[in-house]
Amino acid sequence: MSGKIKVEADRPSQYPMPLVDRWLSAASRHNAVLLLFVVCCGVTVIGAMVIRDMQLADTEAQKMYESSVDGLQKIGELQYDAQETRRTTLYALTTSDSNLQVQYADQTRDADRRVRNGIGEYGRQAKGSEELALADRLNRDWTAYLHVRDEVLASILEGSTSEAVNLDLAGGVPAFERVRQDLNEVKRLYGEDASREQASLAESSRRSSSRIVGILSFTFLLSAAAIWAIQRSQMLGRMQLAKLQMEFVASVSHELRTPLAVIRSAADNIADGLVKNKDTLFRYGAVLQHQSRNMGELVDQILLFASTEDRKKRVLLRPIAVEQIIETVISDTETLIRDSGFTLEVEIEPDLPRVLGDLHGIAQCLRNLVGNATKYGGADRRVVLRACTFFPKDKSPREIRISVTDRGIGIDSSEVVRIFEPFYRSPRVHASQIHGTGLGLALAKRIAESMGGSLTVLSQLSAGSTFTLHLQIAQGEDIQVVAGEGRHSRMSMT
Amino acid sequence: MDSNSNLASPSKRMHARRHLITSVLIATMLVPLLQEDSAGSGRAGASPAADQGTVTEPLVIVVNRSNPVNDLAFDELRRIFLGNRSHWPNGRRITLVMREPGEPERRTVLHEVCGMNEDQFKNHFVHGLFTGEILVSPKILSSPVGVRKFVFNVPGAIGYLRVGDVDDSVKVVRIDELLPDDKGYKLHTQVQLAN
Repeated sequence: MSGKIKVEADRPSQYPMPLVDRWLSAASRHNAVLLLFVVCCGVTVIGAMVIRDMQLADTEAQKMYESSVDGLQKIGELQYDAQETRRTTLYALTTSDSNLQVQYADQTRDADRRVRNGIGEYGRQAKGSEELALADRLNRDWTAYLHVRDEVLASILEGSTSEAVNLDLAGGVPAFERVRQDLNEVKRLYGEDASREQASLAESSRRSSSRIVGILSFTFLLSAAAIWAIQRSQMLGRMQLAKLQMEFVASVSHELRTPLAVIRSAADNIADGLVKNKDTLFRYGAVLQHQSRNMGELVDQILLFASTEDRKKRVLLRPIAVEQIIETVISDTETLIRDSGFTLEVEIEPDLPRVLGDLHGIAQCLRNLVGNATKYGGADRRVVLRACTFFPKDKSPREIRISVTDRGIGIDSSEVVRIFEPFYRSPRVHASQIHGTGLGLALAKRIAESMGGSLTVLSQLSAGSTFTLHLQIAQGEDIQVVAGEGRHSRMSMT
Repeated sequence: MDSNSNLASPSKRMHARRHLITSVLIATMLVPLLQEDSAGSGRAGASPAADQGTVTEPLVIVVNRSNPVNDLAFDELRRIFLGNRSHWPNGRRITLVMREPGEPERRTVLHEVCGMNEDQFKNHFVHGLFTGEILVSPKILSSPVGVRKFVFNVPGAIGYLRVGDVDDSVKVVRIDELLPDDKGYKLHTQVQLAN
C-alpha cells in the first residue's frame, strides 16, 4: 500500500475504516439532510404505490359492481320481455276485435325483437364454451317458440280461438318452458360468474392489504434506519471531534509545557543567583528568547486556525510576484532550516507571472509546508522549494504551482485524505514521538482555498512527499475580494 | 188425398213454420246491417267522379309473404272475396280482410270485384254463413296499417290497400297477370285530395 499516489485534497478517503462507518462519516461530513431527502423520496414513492394500489382495488370493485348491476338488469329485462312476448300473444285471445288483436300482435313482436337483441348480446359477451353453448341453445329454443307463437297468433287473428289454444297448449307451453329453463340457466351461470368475480375481488383486496402492510413496514424500517444512521453519524462525528480535540489539547499542552519548563528553569536559576557570569546570562537570555518565540508561534498558529473557521471571512487578494513570495518564505524559515540542519533548495522558473493572493497567507501556508518537511523529512535533510507555471490540457486557466518536496517518511495512501482534517495526526507520527498540533496542513489548505487556490499532495511511503500550492495568475492590476469559501468577486482598480 | 194431404199437412206446416222462423231470423239479422248500409249506400251511390278534389289511385290486392300465390285471375279473386273459396293451394285457410263500410277502397272492391253494393255483400255473407257455404266472415280493420299488419301476421290473409300504403311486409299479387302500373289494370279507387 505504499505505491506512489497523487490525491486531490477533496477526494474520498481511502483509510481503513469499516464500510458503514465510512459511509456514516461521509454522511455526517456532508449533511444529514441528504439522508432525510432519501427518506422523503422513499416515502413519496411508497405513498404513490399505496395510492395506485388503492385506486386499482377501487376500480376493480367499481367494475364488478357495474357488471353485477348491469348483468342483473339485462337478465331481468330478458326474462320480462320473454314473458311479455307470450303474455301479449295470449291477450289477443281475450278479444274478437281484429284491430285490437293487431295491436297485441305488434306488441308481442316488439317484445320478441327485444328478446332477440338480448340473446344476441348475451351470445356476443359469452365467455367460455358453456356460455356459448347456452347462448346457442337459448337462441334455438326461442326461435322454436316463436314459430309456435306465429301459428298461434295467426289462428287468433283468423278467429280460430280453439285452434289457437290447442296449438299453444301443444307446442307453445313446452317451447316456452324450455326458454324459461334456458333463462334460468343463464341466471345461474351469471351468479357463478359473479361469485368468482367476488372471490377475485376479495383476493385482490387481501393482496392489496398485504401490500399496504408490507409497504408501511418497509417505510417504518427505512425511516428507523435513516434516523438511526443520522443519529449514529452525528454521534460518530462528535466522538471523532472530541477525540481530536483531546489529542489537540494534549499536543498543545505538551508543546507549551516544554518551552515553559525551560523558561521556568532558566528563570529559577537566574532568580536563585546561580547565573553569575555574563556569558551564561546571555546564553540564558537566548534560550528564553527562543522558547518564548516558539510559544508565540504556536499560539499564533492556533489563533490563525480559529480565525479561518469563519469561512465567510473575506480575504483581500492582490497581485504578488512569485519571487517576493519565495524570498519571504526563505527569510521566515531560515532559522528553522538552519537549526534543524536542513538545506533548502529553491528552483524558480524564470519570468513567472504574478499570482493573485495574500502575501501573508501564502507565506504562512508555505511556512507550514516547509516546517512539516523539516519534521518528517528524514535523514536526507533536504527540502526543495519549486515554483513554475502549469498549462492545463483542458480549457481551464493557467496557474502557478509552488511546491515543497522532501525525501522523508512519506504518507500512507490510507491517510492521504485525512491529513487535511483539523487535529488529525497519523498514528505513525505519534509513535515516532514527532510533536505537532495537527493544525498545520488543515490551516494551509484553508488558506489556499480562501485565496481561490488549492493544496494537493503527492506522496510515496518512505520515499517522501510533495505538497503543491495552486495559485491563480493575476490579470493586470486587479484586486479581488474573495470570500473564505473560494467564490470570489472581481474588483478592478485602474 | 185428404189423408195424404192430412198426412202431408203437418209436414207442410212444419216446413212452413221452419221457413217462417228462418225468414224472421234472417230479417232480424239483416235489419241492423241494412240500417248501417243505408248510410254507406248513400255514399256508394254518389258518383266519385262527380266529386271535386279527388284522384284515382290503383288498389292492390295483398297477401302474406309466405303465400305461394303470385297471380290471381279476376274471377278467382271474386270467388275469394265472396267467400266461395276457402283455402289456398298450400292448404292454408283464406282469411279475408276488409276495411270498414263506407271506405272508398271497400266500395271499389265491392263494386269492381264482387259486383255488389254493401247491402248485397252483407246479405251474401249472412246467407253464406247461415247456410254454411261460407266458413269465416271477413275481418274488418279500421286502417290501412291495420290491414297491412293483419296480412303480415296471418299466412292465409288476403286484403286490399292503396298503392301508397303498401310496403315490404306484404306481397302484391297480380290480377289477370297485371300489376297496378300495367295498362288494363281494373282496380282503381277514388281518393279525396287532402286540402
